[in-house]
Amino acid sequence: MRYLILIILFLLSSCGKEPLYNTQSYVFGTLVDISIYGETDVKAQAVSSQIMRNFQALHTRLHAWQPSELSDINHAFAQGSAPVSIKPDIAAMIANATQLSKQSNGAFNPAIGGLIAAWGFHHDEFKPVKIDDAQLKSLVQTNPQMTDIAIENGNIVSKNKNVQLDLGGYAKGYALDIALVTLRKQGVKNALINIGGNIIALGQHGDKAWRVGIQHPRQPNAIAMLDLPSGWAIGTSGDYQRYFELGGKRYCHIINPATGYPVQNMQAVTVLIAPQAGAGALSDVASKPIFIAAPDGRTAAAKAMNVENYLIIEAGNKILVSAPMAKRMTWLDKTAAKNVQIQQ
Amino acid sequence: MVASLVAVIFMFQTFWQFAPASKLKIRQGDKIIGTYDLNQTRELHIHGTLGDSHIIIDQGKVRFKQSPCPNQYCVHQGWLSRAGQVAICLPNQISLQLMGAKATYDSLNY
Repeated sequence: MRYLILIILFLLSSCGKEPLYNTQSYVFGTLVDISIYGETDVKAQAVSSQIMRNFQALHTRLHAWQPSELSDINHAFAQGSAPVSIKPDIAAMIANATQLSKQSNGAFNPAIGGLIAAWGFHHDEFKPVKIDDAQLKSLVQTNPQMTDIAIENGNIVSKNKNVQLDLGGYAKGYALDIALVTLRKQGVKNALINIGGNIIALGQHGDKAWRVGIQHPRQPNAIAMLDLPSGWAIGTSGDYQRYFELGGKRYCHIINPATGYPVQNMQAVTVLIAPQAGAGALSDVASKPIFIAAPDGRTAAAKAMNVENYLIIEAGNKILVSAPMAKRMTWLDKTAAKNVQIQQ
Repeated sequence: MVASLVAVIFMFQTFWQFAPASKLKIRQGDKIIGTYDLNQTRELHIHGTLGDSHIIIDQGKVRFKQSPCPNQYCVHQGWLSRAGQVAICLPNQISLQLMGAKATYDSLNY
């Protein structure tokens, strides 16, 4: 028995390398980072490759401005054509996105592809656009809504020609949920998946929870960090991820569907989502209505999305944190920590 | 005396939160290009999907000096010096990740 213990101790000390596998790739026009803990490198690599392939396939099918299943649907909508066939998984995504759009009172609106294109964000390498107020106004007036869409017997149709689907605010979160299914199916117990900053956790990192830093919207370091327990997801909408500057003003990629213009005076909204079906998708979506809401409407916007844990960073360094979120966060930026207001 | 005190306070405020980084990991696409000692002066040209990114390591800090990408977010990030800091050039698919003796966190939400 004593020898057995000695052997185990020897084995433990000899394999000093932490069983942490990490890989990165570029999918969805952003960086995907996968960490897997406690599996052999061979298995972790096989599962990661499978997840990356699934992501790439999804990205290709949902591409908003290159030929894809989604752009075929958009084309059919624009032509006012009869119902066209749709694959069951994309139909389910659109149904879920519609539900979330309703829940957000239209603030999250994946039907405004036309507006996003008008702002020049339908390019990998976008440039400042000439802002055409009249065009933006008419695009808003066409009032594209997810509820204009009907899906029946494997076919999709829109009663509004101006509905142009863009799942850019949904697909990465959905992909996190798909990755979680793959990980569980393959028997992986501990992993952290990061798609362009949107993260979901499974299990933990050794004997501790996975720990995530939250990027400072204006500095190249983390503003705070928190533990991401198993099944939790975190997502941020920021004005610093995709934006252009024109005449000294910043135009970010988060567009208010009601006005047609990018949101001003907000730097970032982070939401933390408890384990549930579709946690990843919700972590991608739920920050948007809060980002877009007027200052006095943010609490209501969070509530409508069932989000208890949120962090809001306004221009001018005012930081608002919901009380439950504040308990979870460790501030790394001392200046930011001084500007925090806790919202009860 | 006052100047040195101010300097000490400044250093304290700057570094209390993160340990300074000692190593730099550069990746292009899904490949690790290399892990570099940060305490050196060195210029690197890393070939990405758009062209060459010019990266400078200068005694404990690193930055993108020049990049072929249109929006130049990576260049605007400026110098990185603390463990856990990350600069990513999405168009050229090059990332810089700073590492210290101990990781502050596992992944970054942005």
